Amino acid sequence: MVKKYGLSAVAMAAALCLSFPGLAQDIWIGLSAEPSTLDPQARDDGSERAVSDNVYEALMARNAQGELIPGLAAAEPVQVDETTWEFKLREGISFHNGEPFNADAVVYSVNRVIAPEFNSEQLSYYASINGAEAVDEYTVRITTSGADPILPSRMYWMKMVPPAYGEDPQFAAAPVGTGPYKFSGWMRGSEIILEANADYWDGEPEIDLVHYRFIAEPGARLAGLMSGELDVITNLLPEFVDVVPNAVTVEGLETSVIVLSTENPVTGIPEVRQALNIAIDRNSLAENVFGGYAQPARGQLVNPAAFGFNEALEAYPYDPEGARALIESSGAAGQTITLLGQAGRWLKDREQLEAVAAYWQATGLNVNVEIDEWGAYLTRLFDPANRPDAVLAVNSDEVLDADRPLSWAYQMGEGASSNADAELAEWISQARMETDVETRAQLYGEITQHVYDGNYAVPLLNMQDIYGVSGRMEWQPRVDAKLIVKEMSVNE
Amino acid sequence: MGSYIVRRLWQGILVVLAVTTIVFVVTRLVGNPVDIMLPLSATTEQRAAFAHQIGLDRPILEQFGTFVWDAIHLDFGDSLWQRRAAMEVVLERLPNTLLLLVSGIGTAIVLSLPLGTIAALRPGGIVDRLIVGLGLLGLSLPQFWVGLMLIITFSVVFGLLPTSGIGTPAHIILPSIAMALPSLARLSMLVRSAMLDELNKQYIQTARAKGMPLHRIVTVHGFRNILAGFLTMSGWEVIYALAGFSVVVETVFAWPGLGQTALQAIQRSDLFLLQAIVFCVAILIVLINLALDIIYKLVDPRIDLN
Repeated sequence: MVKKYGLSAVAMAAALCLSFPGLAQDIWIGLSAEPSTLDPQARDDGSERAVSDNVYEALMARNAQGELIPGLAAAEPVQVDETTWEFKLREGISFHNGEPFNADAVVYSVNRVIAPEFNSEQLSYYASINGAEAVDEYTVRITTSGADPILPSRMYWMKMVPPAYGEDPQFAAAPVGTGPYKFSGWMRGSEIILEANADYWDGEPEIDLVHYRFIAEPGARLAGLMSGELDVITNLLPEFVDVVPNAVTVEGLETSVIVLSTENPVTGIPEVRQALNIAIDRNSLAENVFGGYAQPARGQLVNPAAFGFNEALEAYPYDPEGARALIESSGAAGQTITLLGQAGRWLKDREQLEAVAAYWQATGLNVNVEIDEWGAYLTRLFDPANRPDAVLAVNSDEVLDADRPLSWAYQMGEGASSNADAELAEWISQARMETDVETRAQLYGEITQHVYDGNYAVPLLNMQDIYGVSGRMEWQPRVDAKLIVKEMSVNE
Repeated sequence: MGSYIVRRLWQGILVVLAVTTIVFVVTRLVGNPVDIMLPLSATTEQRAAFAHQIGLDRPILEQFGTFVWDAIHLDFGDSLWQRRAAMEVVLERLPNTLLLLVSGIGTAIVLSLPLGTIAALRPGGIVDRLIVGLGLLGLSLPQFWVGLMLIITFSVVFGLLPTSGIGTPAHIILPSIAMALPSLARLSMLVRSAMLDELNKQYIQTARAKGMPLHRIVTVHGFRNILAGFLTMSGWEVIYALAGFSVVVETVFAWPGLGQTALQAIQRSDLFLLQAIVFCVAILIVLINLALDIIYKLVDPRIDLN
């Protein structure tokens, strides 16, 4: 690609072409934020992952359809007993700096991320893991505190780092992994460059150099794509889809939901909560607010691609008359409820908030919409004693498992949950520990049905991820929203 | 003058202390930093552990004591967001903002003198109306919108300049223009009205009457007398930009400066980074003010600094 500005850039590009026999294939990716660090185990940061997902690998991976497959592991792990899993590793793989990838590296990686003093933000994904030990050079056992059926999914999240270099102070600034791309440079504030790893165990990738740029403003990102400076941009706004050369979408990981407080006077009435659910025309929300780039949530917060998704549930029906009748018969007509939300934190958050408020207002309730600054919002969301009647939040289900969204939104005493259903809390804990896959799926089926019937929350939409792509790129994004450059190609 | 500078520096230290104390208190009043730092779905247990880790579970006075003690040693702790020394982040971004300031506000300062003067020479003339009209436009168009329009015109449609980012000299042109416009408008209006006042004074009339050429009247008498006011306003433009007005331009053009970093630190509730940024900006502003005072004295010896 020849950048359109500056004669010197053109001259340089020409000089580069002359000095190299084949044309080096570069692509430019525009992210909405700069990675906070390139230590793949420290933070829970989507921009960091966008880069690290190409440098590092985990024991497990997912194919483009989202199914769990072995990554650095040679095969699916075997469960030795209730709390021990055994992984056989691929042999002959080394880190970019030459350190071998073996059982010691896995043990180091596991123990590093779970160490309390390391204070990883990813700890919530690995809370059940006790430690790891090497059996032989290519066999590792990972132990959990209780039964943990989704350990393989957790290991899809945990990136493997080199034991010697991992202790180097430079590690977070100049990463070394086993992945298809090697770290090449980081100009803080402006660019990160990765280069193809010619020795990658699964074949050398097609694109030689990847440049990541950080552009917070959606309009500026779009301009970068339109001017030909960028090949892929993330978080394209739905209204820009028709403008860009190419837009690709994939079912995303985010679901918007309104958690209702079952302990407050008005929202404590089950009929009122039911009315709040059926008062909303989710199809219209998806169509008008998101331009069709979202689907009505199927009556649950669990992502459709996640383990524990209840296939039997359908989206709450849209029945404005029924909702009005319920509000009337429950004696709540004219009462005021508070709906708390955000503006600008999540895609179209304010628009969803206002649309929902209008639907609810139409049932005969008075809806008081409040938008707080993020810190103040979180304080109210996490305060069980002074919970607003309804809080809109967007949950992102990176691990693709029902446990986190369910415990966060429904388990008494956790995160955003706002009910006093001790039995439900017990169920959620039980499902977390259940090792039998069938039984576990069945438990989630019951839990999701229970919260559906009890209307503990108002699931709204499953949002799609939209990427803007230049005309020369060929790429199909993945269900797990990872930007895997090895899966991209350029046709020129 | 020496004792004056010492006194001003002493006051400056008090100002910096007061500002950082206010930031310390405010960042802890608005919301719980732990909630903001951790993922939305973190468990209650993890929140408590994190609060302990960064010391937020200790009494506020103890936290403040530690903060002051470390700040005296120029240690502002590690940025929670970037996990490296907060001061390192600040010192990395500060030069970018200064570069933008020099090229943006600098252009405004340099251009506003001739523009304002030309307008003042023939008040009500076509050139004057044009400059005043453009000035009003520059003042009333939001910087955000101007920035995007510049990008669309020069980068997307004509493909002449990069849309955003930093690196080559070409990268700085558009952000500088967006940065300069409102300042240029304010400063030229100031020069125009001050110069008009000056040119109507009697000694200027006398100078004209005795046949002194116009360019000498303007440069020797006019400029000299409006300079003090012009410098004050120019200093203010720099201070405005430093104290946060560069955020808009830096965000639109993805310019990795201090303003954008401050915004991100606020969004991520990165207390330690925020404290370091405020500390540095406060020091810079104190120094700029001091420099302005000294320049006054040099420009107009009649000014009594005491």
